Amino acid sequence: MKKATMTLLAALVLAPALAQAETFQEVFNQQRALYGKGHEFTFEGKTYKTYHSEEVEAMAEPTKANAEALVASAEAKRQEAAAVGYEWRFTGRILKQAQDALAEERFQDAMNLAAQAKYQARKAVEQQAHVASTWHHAVPE
Amino acid sequence: MRRLTTLMCVATAATALSGPVAAASQDEMIELGRDVFHDKTRGNCISCHSIDDPVANLPGNQGPMMVAMKQRFPDKRKLRAQVWDATVANPLSIMPPIGKHWILSEEEIDAVVEYIYQY
Amino acid sequence: MKTIKTLLLGLGLTALAPLTQAAESGFTLETVDPEADRKALQEFYQNRFPGVPLEEYVNGIYAIDPPSREQWDALMEFPPYEFDLEEGQVLFETPFANGKSYADCFENGGIGIRQNYPYWNKEEGTVKTLEQEINECREQNGEKPLKWKKGAIAQISAYMAWTSRDNVIDIKIPEDDPRALQAYLDGKQFFYAKRGQLNLSCANCHLQGSRRLIRADLPGPMLGQPTHFPVYRSKWGEIGTLHRRYEGCHRDSRSVPLPPQSEEFRKLEYFQTYMSNGLVVNGPGARK
Repeated sequence: MKKATMTLLAALVLAPALAQAETFQEVFNQQRALYGKGHEFTFEGKTYKTYHSEEVEAMAEPTKANAEALVASAEAKRQEAAAVGYEWRFTGRILKQAQDALAEERFQDAMNLAAQAKYQARKAVEQQAHVASTWHHAVPE
Repeated sequence: MRRLTTLMCVATAATALSGPVAAASQDEMIELGRDVFHDKTRGNCISCHSIDDPVANLPGNQGPMMVAMKQRFPDKRKLRAQVWDATVANPLSIMPPIGKHWILSEEEIDAVVEYIYQY
Repeated sequence: MKTIKTLLLGLGLTALAPLTQAAESGFTLETVDPEADRKALQEFYQNRFPGVPLEEYVNGIYAIDPPSREQWDALMEFPPYEFDLEEGQVLFETPFANGKSYADCFENGGIGIRQNYPYWNKEEGTVKTLEQEINECREQNGEKPLKWKKGAIAQISAYMAWTSRDNVIDIKIPEDDPRALQAYLDGKQFFYAKRGQLNLSCANCHLQGSRRLIRADLPGPMLGQPTHFPVYRSKWGEIGTLHRRYEGCHRDSRSVPLPPQSEEFRKLEYFQTYMSNGLVVNGPGARK
């Protein structure tokens, strides 16, 4: 009897976990893919919108300090991608444009560009890790 | 991940007001989509997909032809998702993840989808 | 993974076992099998382009696309690399300031040796390419190294390939040094791994995408690719080295490209040339 109860409990605990096999990132990507940015969706009972974390950062007040901070963090992310040998070709160029905008005190432009560069760099780092564990699927057997 | 989640919550609050920009007219969208599809420095979709448009120049055939789009994608959003990241359906696909890798902006993706959905 | 496999076998689901095996073999140092890789690759192309003899693959896209072949045959009536070959021979034979020459640096005086490059150098613990040793030869004799991508180095390499024409490619992976097999495996991974903003692998275009149009271009098959380098490429309007092409391809994936003769590119060349073992040297080549 005790054993049966435990099995039942286990089933109850595991069932939602199995149904929610998708990660937040997968659900986020799927929603962004279907609807673009700013779309509202729920994940595990919470409501979110389909903005990349970098886009959210670029929504902060367009001050010199905020722009500088975002440009600096984007540059750090770019270096991270370069360190694993996966830096994308245009990320540096976008960052340069962000720095130019910063120098001309176009803070919102600087933040938008830095957000784009930072997002690309984050994806490049993720790409490297993902590919390292999946590349062999492409090999003919 | 937790950080991202928190940020998303903040975003929900902070941007409730800044919805999508006023939608361009359908014709303008299609015109933009055509530019993006054929321009080498933008989407360059023509390098792999042929399309029955007089402006098409030297179309490639790495990917399927842009025909019967409505039949193939009765739900236009599923077509948008395929453009955004084709590797969901096929991880080995040669098609670049246009949205996921921010190769085009979300507005450009909307426009390209409108353009090809006519065919 | 091993547990799952044991479980499956234990359950008697033997039909699933080969599938599991196939997906697991060949991408770790313990399981990688270069000969199996080479045969599987040949089989892939023979299924993809039935009736094309293996030895034809040294001609790249012209082996598998008759319309391109016709244009190429016309071009080859006066091969565009002939000037470079002559120039390469002159450079190769001209003594250095100290009176020595390239012939003193290489086995058999540098004649007919292309098929052995690249090779695993145990002492240095790295893959060595022909172009690398051309420059090392210069430096050992007090000369300045040449630039990697075009010009004199490509001409000298072209001449050395020319003297090796029809020699069978024979890349070895010495068993007494596991680092050699690791270098091969790294090169293999590089070939199949997606990279760059466009998320492209070498394989995307040169395996699956071979002879499918990208605008007006048809990517060639990877089998036989290194046999015909250096290459006079009409798009360049001049002769260039294999690593110049690697750099260009890498950039085309929208990556910040690696430099020519970087360790990664040398490993890639090691893997790729091993895949062409059994084919003959036919460099220099001419391509669109």
